[in-house]
Amino acid sequence: MPEPPGAAAPPDPPDRPELSELSELSELSELPELPEPPATSPALPALAVEDLVAGYGGVTALHGVSVSAPEGTVTAVLGANGAGKTTLLRAISGLVRVRRGRVLLHGADLTRRRPEETARAGVAHVPEGQGVITELTVEENLRLGALTRIDRAARAGALAQAYEQFPVLAARRRKAAGTLSGGERQMLVIARALLSRPRVLLLDEPSLGLAPKIITQVMGLVAQLRDSTGLTILLVEQNARAALAIANQGIVLHLGRVVEAGDPAALAADTGLLNHYLGL
Amino acid sequence: MQEFLDFTLGGVSFGMIYAAIGLSLVLIWRGTRILNYAQGGMAMFTTYIALITINHTGNYWLGFVVALAAGAVLGAACELVIRPAQDKPPLNAVIVTIGLLILLEGLAGIIYGGQFRSFPAAFSITGLRVGTTSLGVSRNDVFVAAAVLAAALALAVMFRYTSAGLRLRATAFSPAVARLLGIRVGRVLTLGWALAGLIGALAGVLVTPSTFLYPNSMDSIFVLGFTAAVIGGLDSPLGAVLGGLILGVVLNYAGGYLGADLVPVFGLAALALVLMLRPSGLLGTASSRQV
Repeated sequence: MPEPPGAAAPPDPPDRPELSELSELSELSELPELPEPPATSPALPALAVEDLVAGYGGVTALHGVSVSAPEGTVTAVLGANGAGKTTLLRAISGLVRVRRGRVLLHGADLTRRRPEETARAGVAHVPEGQGVITELTVEENLRLGALTRIDRAARAGALAQAYEQFPVLAARRRKAAGTLSGGERQMLVIARALLSRPRVLLLDEPSLGLAPKIITQVMGLVAQLRDSTGLTILLVEQNARAALAIANQGIVLHLGRVVEAGDPAALAADTGLLNHYLGL
Repeated sequence: MQEFLDFTLGGVSFGMIYAAIGLSLVLIWRGTRILNYAQGGMAMFTTYIALITINHTGNYWLGFVVALAAGAVLGAACELVIRPAQDKPPLNAVIVTIGLLILLEGLAGIIYGGQFRSFPAAFSITGLRVGTTSLGVSRNDVFVAAAVLAAALALAVMFRYTSAGLRLRATAFSPAVARLLGIRVGRVLTLGWALAGLIGALAGVLVTPSTFLYPNSMDSIFVLGFTAAVIGGLDSPLGAVLGGLILGVVLNYAGGYLGADLVPVFGLAALALVLMLRPSGLLGTASSRQV
C-alpha cells in the first residue's frame, strides 16, 4: 500500500500531557492477542488522541480528551447524549475544528487535516445513520469506497471480495442504496469503509435504529473485522453492553471529558458507573 | 402541415440551445446549490474568443475548439472566485455570480467594443430540401441539435461509467459523505464548473450565428436556458434537455402561429405552468428542501 503523503513523517516523540488519564489504558495494550503483528512500530498505538479540545462555534464539546488505541483492538467509546462521543470522531476525521491537542495515526500527525485528507491517510469514518448515498446504487456506493486508496487495476478484485464477504449486498448491487433496510445499509457503509483499506475505522452508533438481532450481527461483524484483519476500531455506542461485549478497552465520556477508562468487563460490571453516566 | 413540421424542427434546434444552457446550470446547481447567473456572460465571452480565433486563422473549427477549451478554463476560474461564498447564506453566491456577469460583460465591452458582430455558422443556413419541398431547417440546425445531443450523451456516459463521474455525482448528492470517503470535493467542484463552462461555451458558439454577438447577446438566451433547467427540475441533466426541447418547440409554435411578440410571454407561461403543476420540475428529485 502506498504511503499517503505526510503519513511517513517521522513520528514525534511521545509527548503526553495527560499521563494520568492514559496510565490505565497503557496497561491494556498487552491484553489482546493480535492475529497479525502490527506492520509499523509496535510501540506506537495505531491511533492516539492527545488532550483534544474541540467544539462548534462558541460551544466546547471536548475538554482535553485522550485516547490510545493499540493496533488490532476495538475501543468502545461510551457516554450519554451530548457527552462528546460523536464530536470526538468528527474531530479525529477533521469534520470539527481541533482547538488544542493532537491526533496521531501510527505516529503521523493528522491534526487539523481536512476530512478528505484524513480519509486518504487511512482513517475511515462511518458517520451516524447517514453514511449511505441513497441516490446511488449499492455498487456505486461501494465503488466510491475503493476510489481513493486502491489502485485502479485492483478495484474490481476488491469489489468482488466485498461482495463475497457481504452476500446481501451482492444480491442488491443494482438497487438504489435508499431501498435497503437499516441493517443492510449498515453492512453497506461498513463494506464501503473497508474498501478504502483503512488503518483505523471510526464507527458512530452502528446499532442505531436496528433490531436487537441485527445489532448482534453488526457487533459480531465488528469483532470479526478486528480479528481477521487486525483493523483498529473506535466504536461509539449508546448500546454500552453490546459494545463492551466485543471491545478490548472502553472509555466513558461525560460532558466532554474521559471520566472512566479501562477493561471492558470491569466497566460492564460496574452498574453504578453505567447507571450514573449512561442512564442504564 | 408543412408549416407545423417546420416550426417543430426549428423549435427542436433552438430548444437544444436552451437545453445546453440549462445543462450547464444544472451541472453547477447539483454540485453547489448555486445558480450561476454568469453562465450567459461566460458563453458570450468565449464566443468572442472564438470569433477572434476564426478571424485570425480563418478556421471555424479551430475557433470552435478554442471556445470550448476557454469555456472550461473560465468555468474553473469562476469556481475559484466563488469558492469563498460557498457554505455562506445563498444570497452571497447569487451576488458573486451577478458580479461576475457584470464583470464579463463590462470586460467584453472594453476589449471588443459594444457593436453587433456577426458570427459564422458551421454549416449552410439555407433550408434543407427533401425532393422538391424545402424544409424549415438548415444543415446548420441539424448540426446544432446533434452537437448538443452528443455533448449531453457524453456527459451522461461520463456520469454513469467513469470514476470522475461517480465523484461528481457523490459530491452532488452528499458532499459530506464524499469528503469522508477521501474525495477532494474542491477539485470535483472545479471540474463541475469547468464542464458547465464548456457546455455553456458550446451553446454560445451554436446560438450566436442567429443572434449577432455583443456584450449582452446571451442575456435572453440565459433566461430561456434557466427556464429549461427549472422545467426539467434544476437537478436533473436529462430534465434540462427535455425542458429545453419542450420550451424550444412551444416558443417556436407561439412565435410562428401567434406572432414573435408573444414568445417571451409564452416562455414565462410555460415556466409558470410547470411550477404550478409540478413544483419540483419534470424530473426533479427534491420536492422540499431544507433551508
